[in-house]
Amino acid sequence: MDITGKIREIAARLLQNGEVDLFMAWEKGDLPFQSKPFFARRVEDVERIIFDEYSIHNLSNALLKFRDRQEKIGLVVKGCDSRGVVRLLEDGQIERDRLYIVGVCCPGMKDPLQAMRDYSGFNRNPEAAPLAAKCENCIQPNPVIYDELLGEEQPPRVQGERFARVRELEQLSPDERYRFFEDILSRCIRCYACRQACVACNCRTCIFDETKPQWVGRETSISDNMMYHLVRASHMAGRCIECGECERVCPVNIPLMLINQKLIKDVDNFFGPYEAGMQYVEGAKPPLSVYQENDPDDFI
Amino acid sequence: MKVLNKNKLPAVFDKLAQQSELFVPLQKKEQSGFYSWKSFDQASDQLALDLLNVYLPPKQVLLPQTEKMYSFRQEEGGVAISEVYEESQARVIFGIRACDLQAINCLDQAFLTRGFVDEFYKARRDNTTIVASACYKPGANCFCSSMGVNPLEPAGADAIIRDTGTEYFIWEARTPAGEELSRQLAEFLEEKELPLPQSQAFERQVDMEGVAEKLSQVFSSPLWEELSDACQTCGICTYLCPSCYCFDIQVKNQGEAGYRFRCWDSCMYGEYTLMAGGHNPRASATERFRNRFLHKLEFFNERYGMPLCTGCGRCIIACPAGIDISKIITAAKEAEWSA
Ligand code: SF4
Ligand code: SF4
Ligand code: SF4
Ligand code: SF4
Ligand code: SF4
Repeated sequence: MDITGKIREIAARLLQNGEVDLFMAWEKGDLPFQSKPFFARRVEDVERIIFDEYSIHNLSNALLKFRDRQEKIGLVVKGCDSRGVVRLLEDGQIERDRLYIVGVCCPGMKDPLQAMRDYSGFNRNPEAAPLAAKCENCIQPNPVIYDELLGEEQPPRVQGERFARVRELEQLSPDERYRFFEDILSRCIRCYACRQACVACNCRTCIFDETKPQWVGRETSISDNMMYHLVRASHMAGRCIECGECERVCPVNIPLMLINQKLIKDVDNFFGPYEAGMQYVEGAKPPLSVYQENDPDDFI
Repeated sequence: MKVLNKNKLPAVFDKLAQQSELFVPLQKKEQSGFYSWKSFDQASDQLALDLLNVYLPPKQVLLPQTEKMYSFRQEEGGVAISEVYEESQARVIFGIRACDLQAINCLDQAFLTRGFVDEFYKARRDNTTIVASACYKPGANCFCSSMGVNPLEPAGADAIIRDTGTEYFIWEARTPAGEELSRQLAEFLEEKELPLPQSQAFERQVDMEGVAEKLSQVFSSPLWEELSDACQTCGICTYLCPSCYCFDIQVKNQGEAGYRFRCWDSCMYGEYTLMAGGHNPRASATERFRNRFLHKLEFFNERYGMPLCTGCGRCIIACPAGIDISKIITAAKEAEWSA
């Protein structure tokens, strides 16, 4: 049986037995490349579930919608998504015993958003690559936490030097680097989709929504835009699980993963060795989540 | 008929930009939208008149994402307004599509009618001349024809260009302001008879008949939760929408002086409905999601007699969760809304 069939079987069983109240997976839209989040609530819904090469959307983030509720939830996770679940567990956002996690060893995904843009008539040059950018850089295609595992184990997909683009940026002079960030961040429209798509952005009241006081201005100006991205970046340090959703959803194609990768590299360097969300150990205190007297600070 | 040779466009734009601020559809590196012709950079920008449309909608020209309103200074005995930033210089929007122009017609309703006039909007709008580009090849996500828009006859245009598929646009002036443009551009216009292009059928269609009435009856339906399951309340759909017009008014000050500005806001954000006492009537994604569709398809219709969606397809293209407004319209008619 293919993965879709197996997922449907599991979902039907869980819903039937009342082991979960809803089951998060993907369903097909009208177009061949449209796979989108779908929550099955009844056994009859299960036949809408699919898993295919466009099931890229990280469903772990959707758990946040249910954090203050009681439902037991089944969900399908790929490698990156499972690290998202670890993120939520470590952050105390949801209880492990409310979840039934179906892991799928991920063969790499294509990006339906990119395919849609190519199809839209708005793009001059088709962008679609055989694999989504985030999948080309994937270090962990196999789920790190699950109750049931499907598919063949996959090797890490990242080729060559993982942080090559970060190193290129590090080579630039501060002025050149400033100009680079000024260029990419000036086009941010501050839609906050990068935050909303992010499983690590799980604060109940986000600093950008606070009004008393307002920490970051709401103008789309280079200074407010930079402030937004600086703050979000620093809040991701040690917490980003590299799922790439922020960059994927950005409507103006800002290369956000460059910023996240720089932080991943630095956290590993200064506070590591550490890779966020690779395992769930109850009560573990990952770097930067607690104050350590000997944490390096000479780069500040 | 009057025709305009495409290779004269840069000269036409230079000329128009002498007397006005000219906005044209441009591909600027990774981003596309309506930008000032002054910002055109030969090395990195491309004119996008040949594309179906651009991602960032032209509402930015009339309702900038961030707009300074006035600055003030605290003085003895009160606050003095030191400057008001109404922008009334002449503007031309060139190459707007019928859907996006209909969206401006919607903005006009919201900002200029029913006894409420937004002076900042009016100052821009009164001095804006619009050259629309007729659409003969609708895209896969276009459904303007279902939303009361005729893509071949953009309503409200001062002049219309029609891409003949040759090196010429057909040029038609429609209003006195359009005639004035024809005079200004006389040196570039030629007389020539060309066949009109064949218009192609729409792949995507919806039936709006009775949708507003139906939606007015299903406010409390549990179906909204399922429809909104995938929505991440990210706001992309509202920021890319040519007709979404919500804004917030904020202030920045340092010491004694500062300025007030307005900036786009979105009903998809939690903070949008947050009240001073801390209560939020639309705390969940479902409530915000419902509001977006009810505003577009029900409330706006009730108040102004037209939907606040013009079928441009942008939200369908860019929604990370695959939410499709044409599906919501269909669901409004066909789905079982009761529990
Ligand atoms: S910052 Fe981006 S890559 Fe990192 S966890 Fe959030 S969405 Fe994923
Ligand atoms: S998704 Fe892109 S445009 Fe939106 S706030 Fe994030 S970086 Fe800016
Ligand atoms: S929605 Fe209509 S007017 Fe807009 S681009 Fe498509 S066909 Fe043209
Ligand atoms: S409908 Fe789509 S684009 Fe709009 S807020 Fe929801 S997820 Fe974002
Ligand atoms: S709601 Fe969507 S399709 Fe309708 S006008 Fe706005 S962006 Fe276009």
